[in-house]
Amino acid sequence: MKYTLKYSFSLLLLVASFLGNAQKVKVKDSIKPKTERYGLRVGVDLFKLTRSFYEKDYRGIELVGDFKLTRKHYIAAEIGTENKTVDDDRLNFTTKGTYLKAGFDFNGYENWLGMNNMLYVGMRYGFSSFSQTLNSYTIYNPNPYFGQAPEIPSGEKFNGLTAQWVEVLAGAKAEMFKNFYVGMSVRLNYLVSNKKPDGFDNLYIPGFNRTYDGKFGVGINYTISYFVPIFKSEVKPKEGKKK
Amino acid sequence: MKKIFLLLFVFSLLGCEKDDICDATTPTTPRLVIEFYDFTASTETLKSVTNLGVIDPNFTTGISFNGVNKIQVPLKTTEDTTTLRFIQNGSDTDATNDNEDILQFNYSRNEVYVSRACGFKTLFTLNATNPIIQIEPAVADGAWIKNISIVKANLENENEVHVKIFF
Repeated sequence: MKYTLKYSFSLLLLVASFLGNAQKVKVKDSIKPKTERYGLRVGVDLFKLTRSFYEKDYRGIELVGDFKLTRKHYIAAEIGTENKTVDDDRLNFTTKGTYLKAGFDFNGYENWLGMNNMLYVGMRYGFSSFSQTLNSYTIYNPNPYFGQAPEIPSGEKFNGLTAQWVEVLAGAKAEMFKNFYVGMSVRLNYLVSNKKPDGFDNLYIPGFNRTYDGKFGVGINYTISYFVPIFKSEVKPKEGKKK
Repeated sequence: MKKIFLLLFVFSLLGCEKDDICDATTPTTPRLVIEFYDFTASTETLKSVTNLGVIDPNFTTGISFNGVNKIQVPLKTTEDTTTLRFIQNGSDTDATNDNEDILQFNYSRNEVYVSRACGFKTLFTLNATNPIIQIEPAVADGAWIKNISIVKANLENENEVHVKIFF
């Protein structure tokens, strides 16, 4: 009996030691491996959306998206539609059309692991297809001996217009709630091609915004977007050491 | 970061760009440019007008020209006909030396886009038949304009001569 007890005790110890070992392994397992989250971030431009409410002569929406390729590189795109009526001193016209911009963002912000905040610069190539309607115009007469001519109603519509441009942008995106990001960007646009209507001009181009005498233009957007995680990848220790 | 600030700086500069004011050097609606010549000379010789008053028959104020051989007169952008009284010595105080000829200009109009700031301009083309009709006023005082010739029927800008008047 004495031996049996001794035996069982040592067996228990053995099992316990195993258990202890097993537990040790488990603890090691519960340390999450360093991972980087990859996924698609989709959102909407609040600037265009809110303008549609407070500006009578404007309707527009822009959807934005970006996809993380590496820790620093994202491919990004915007797609939108605009309907804007401009009432200038001598001209009143309506521009209607859709646009697509595609390019990349380069993130200069060092994130903690698993976060996707951005302080970035990027480039886009933009394409827009649109129409212009000349609503009314005024004849400019520098010598108005007979008085200034009244505004002339027109309604002439110019279809099938296109424009292409390059954008350089800078912006920021920050996670406000879990997977919800707010962002803003400022853009400098440069027209590459511009199919102008016969007898009129593209004074506004959807996506490019107002045109100036030269080829430059400016843009801005305020976005709210949602990050859809698609996959995680383990960070190799080498990369960690570099940091 | 430096790049971002540079970009913002460029944007702020663009904000100042002014293209809302129509530049005076931009060719817009032209006036009719008339050159005056000596009718008596055997070769074309420029001759200056003296106190020439040009006035719309329904207006009380006109435009006066003195000592120049080239003048610009406005045409109506709302009608295809403009009638103007050309009164020799009309813009001086002495009414006794006046000699009035009425000229009726007949043309077609073409409205052409210029720019955002200038809007559109009207270009005129003088009619092939009866571009300018010379009429004596109600109280006839003889014609001081002896001959009119069209140099350029389509008025595009004011750097060209459109009509020659011999007197």
